[in-house]
Amino acid sequence: MRLNKDFIYRKVGSDSVLVPVGSSSFSGMVKGNATTGELIECLKEDMTEEQMIERLLEKYDAPREIIAADVANVLNKLRQIGAIEE
Amino acid sequence: MTGTYKIADEIIFVESVYPTVHEYYRGYEASGTPDFSVKTSVEDIVFEREKTENGEMFPDSYLEEIAMYRKICEKMPYYDTFLFHGSCIAVDDEGYLFGAPSGTGKSTHAKLWCDNLGERAVMVNDDKPLIRICGDGAYAYGTPYNGKHRRGENTKVRLKAICMLSQSPDNGIREITRSEAYPLIIGQTYRPYDREAFVKTLDLVDRLFENVKLYSLRCNMEKEAFEVSYNKMRED
Repeated sequence: MRLNKDFIYRKVGSDSVLVPVGSSSFSGMVKGNATTGELIECLKEDMTEEQMIERLLEKYDAPREIIAADVANVLNKLRQIGAIEE
Repeated sequence: MTGTYKIADEIIFVESVYPTVHEYYRGYEASGTPDFSVKTSVEDIVFEREKTENGEMFPDSYLEEIAMYRKICEKMPYYDTFLFHGSCIAVDDEGYLFGAPSGTGKSTHAKLWCDNLGERAVMVNDDKPLIRICGDGAYAYGTPYNGKHRRGENTKVRLKAICMLSQSPDNGIREITRSEAYPLIIGQTYRPYDREAFVKTLDLVDRLFENVKLYSLRCNMEKEAFEVSYNKMRED
């Protein structure tokens, strides 16, 4: 899966923000922490969920199930706003 | 029909299907070599009708005015300029920009400033000013698109503050951080369909943040709302 190119990723202070390209309704902005930012970086490449978990395991000292749950949660949010191309 | 206009210091050649746009742009006529050209077609009018709530109730000529601004605002980021949905007032040559979703009371609050400050206050634009980021700061420009009350001037002012409004029974104002302001500001910023123009817009918003103070105001429609917001932003 990868990031829909109609979403632009920005860092605002310590927040990671995804903003959708022009449309009248504005419901698609995601604000997240560093993990969200990390995942969005992953989505710039084409990666599977499993690969993302591996990538985060290398970076963060946390149990696999916690990271896996975090990844699933963020991906779910991104899917809901149409930011992911499967 | 064609015409040449200067909006936000850019000379624009405008070509329309109906003459109404040119009446709407009165006061912005210019001559000289255009920086860019925009042209609307019947398809653009159809597009606006589909996008606009109750679009079938509006005449083509009105929808073309909106379509033309969309064309202009798709180009403006290439000239360090973007559209912000808000009401902008100049007081003693300093600009205050009020932003909020439609119906919150931007115009009402801006009018309180005008009523209480008299000639010291100038309504730059009551609905859709253009914001230009320059080397020495952010400037708000008057445009023909100045809201249903047609309040605004063909002028510009350097912005001192942006204040996001919300309705409340009482009045209070506080400075807010960039990350707090970001979704509010982006929510009232025109987001181009053209991806490159959109990325430029986000760059311009970042630069805007370096040049203005950011506030959140909760307010009613009483005179006190003006006093609270003016006294705080004036001092800082």
